[in-house]
Amino acid sequence: MNTIDPPPPARAVAGPPPPVADGAWHRVHPLTPAIRSWQALVVVLVVAVQDAGQNVLRQAAGSGLDDGGPDAAWLRTAAPVGALVLALVVGVLALSWRMTRYRVTGEALELRHGVVVRRQRRARLDRLQAVDLVQPLVARIFGLARLKLEVAGGSGSSIELSYLTDTQARQLRNHLLAAAAGLTYQTPQAPEAPERPIAEVPVPRLIASLFLDGGVLVGIVAVTVVIAAGLAVAGVAASAGLLPAALGVVTVLWRRFASAFGFTVTVSPDGLRLRHGLLEHRAQTVPPGRVQAVQLSQPLLWRGRDWWRVVVNVAGYTGRGDNQRTENELLPVGTRAEAVALLALVVPDLGIEPGEDALAVVAAGLDGDGRCPGGYLTSPRQAVWVDPIAWRRNGVRVTQEVMLVRRGRLRRRLGVVPHVRTQSCGISQGPLQRLLGLASFHLHSTRGPIDPVVPHLRERDAADLLSDQAVRARRARRTAPPERWLERPDSTSDRTGQPSAGVTPPTA
Amino acid sequence: MAATRRPAEAVGGEPFQPPDVAWSGVSARLASARRVTTCLPLALLAIAASALAVLLGVGWLWLVAVAVLAGASWAWWTIGRQVRSWRYAEREDDLLVRHGLLWRTVVVVPYGRMQYVDVYAGPVDRAFRLAKVQLHTASAHSDAYIPGLNPQEAARLRDRLASRGEARLAGL
Repeated sequence: MNTIDPPPPARAVAGPPPPVADGAWHRVHPLTPAIRSWQALVVVLVVAVQDAGQNVLRQAAGSGLDDGGPDAAWLRTAAPVGALVLALVVGVLALSWRMTRYRVTGEALELRHGVVVRRQRRARLDRLQAVDLVQPLVARIFGLARLKLEVAGGSGSSIELSYLTDTQARQLRNHLLAAAAGLTYQTPQAPEAPERPIAEVPVPRLIASLFLDGGVLVGIVAVTVVIAAGLAVAGVAASAGLLPAALGVVTVLWRRFASAFGFTVTVSPDGLRLRHGLLEHRAQTVPPGRVQAVQLSQPLLWRGRDWWRVVVNVAGYTGRGDNQRTENELLPVGTRAEAVALLALVVPDLGIEPGEDALAVVAAGLDGDGRCPGGYLTSPRQAVWVDPIAWRRNGVRVTQEVMLVRRGRLRRRLGVVPHVRTQSCGISQGPLQRLLGLASFHLHSTRGPIDPVVPHLRERDAADLLSDQAVRARRARRTAPPERWLERPDSTSDRTGQPSAGVTPPTA
Repeated sequence: MAATRRPAEAVGGEPFQPPDVAWSGVSARLASARRVTTCLPLALLAIAASALAVLLGVGWLWLVAVAVLAGASWAWWTIGRQVRSWRYAEREDDLLVRHGLLWRTVVVVPYGRMQYVDVYAGPVDRAFRLAKVQLHTASAHSDAYIPGLNPQEAARLRDRLASRGEARLAGL
């Protein structure tokens, strides 16, 4: 294990705070139940205020009428029942808070919770895939944050600590990352790793990118046309029925805007750190070597400005639920230089032959096709019958370390999967492909937005890829770097945030 | 790429026959099980249709009966071929599973990537003494499974996969 000297305190903290990893059981913040169920509380409060207001109004209007009325009788029975229900709910919430405890040790994070069914979950820190700090608006007002720890174990294997104070959560995150990296420290607090900015998304660019994205644009145009037609033909009443569709488009736009607002990417020895969110702040940390696959993509209308989106597959980031597709986004929109720089950080070694230009290979993957060099294995001409638009773009380049998968003519995509992250692979062939002597090669990555498939290769090429990839992946796994990424005999213990990039990223 | 090309084995455009692989098939009882669950209801339907045709004297019901019977016999034939197309092979470091007639696939799952192995046997499977072995990796796409194994063979395969996986286990 590496030991680092006590660095100067990362932040000014009032008084020496107790160490995080003391191995004792702690409770989460007492405001947690209130913040978790704030919507319900607001509803109750609004109803109560409304009721009281009505009563006051009624009494002011005609006093005396109220006493014998059916309303009053109803109120007399409803009020105690309501109070009882409220007390019960508060009691259950308080009990569930009391039963929620967590413990941090050098190797693991443990969480106990549950009132009726007790659950205990233990996450080994060397299996840690990502750590997120999430601050919904209400939590932010109270200075609280939720800590989400992803470990590789399929869906539902993450541990969420909600809520901790902002400081606690950050200290805990620093400790978890240091422990996961195989680093020990002398100070009571884990030092916060220094960060180096890589990219940020200006708001005008974000807005423009949202409106230029194909799906959203189609949605807007379709809804506008339909509403206009409705107005012209059947008047206002008919178009009112289309309001939900319009609202849907607006909601999608708003969600993506709010989640990608203020997006910044920095790099530190802890890995990539992504910060974003307008109302709900999110600070994600993806440690080195946790990215299973990365993909650069470009919708048709971004081509003029040469903007690219970068998404990743990370075990545990399933891309489902309320943070659909934002969780896996490394960069919602960025210039080509930024996207390539990120690719170089995530996949430090493209394993390209000496003497070959790595940037040219990546560029050929981004916007080249079968007619330009770059060493890509492409679909043969007969693929035009099954893939008339994109057949020239289909291609795969295999290097010592990674597989680059190029696809898409309208929406260009370049996926990169390190051999060491290959889960399994396969080939498939449909009846038409069989007639044409074609087969598709599938590389299986962990659950996420990227599904690397090389469609319509020559049968023999696909078969060779399959047998060779199995060997390559096996060889790569044998020489894989350790899970604890700073625990390396040759590594120095400086946390300067300098990545060892095999590809020199163009200056952004 | 060209340097790593193999010699003549893959000639003939047969990408689903990697060289030096000893394939094992699945039990022929899988075909019986599938025929019972698919063809038997169809045959009963055909019998019912012809019975109605006789009782009610409606001519076109005969057509229905014939069509259903034709479907049942086509299913009978296809199921046999489909079941024969299921093959698996244990290699030194990985397991190969291939299947399909019109849409054919081969999946190569390294032992070191297996997270866990499931053995299923439903009521029909048990009646025909069959079991299904399903492999799980960290990927949702590599769901390789082998249906219609002898229960002993399934247990052997499970234990063997588990022990080989342990020996070669790699991180994600």
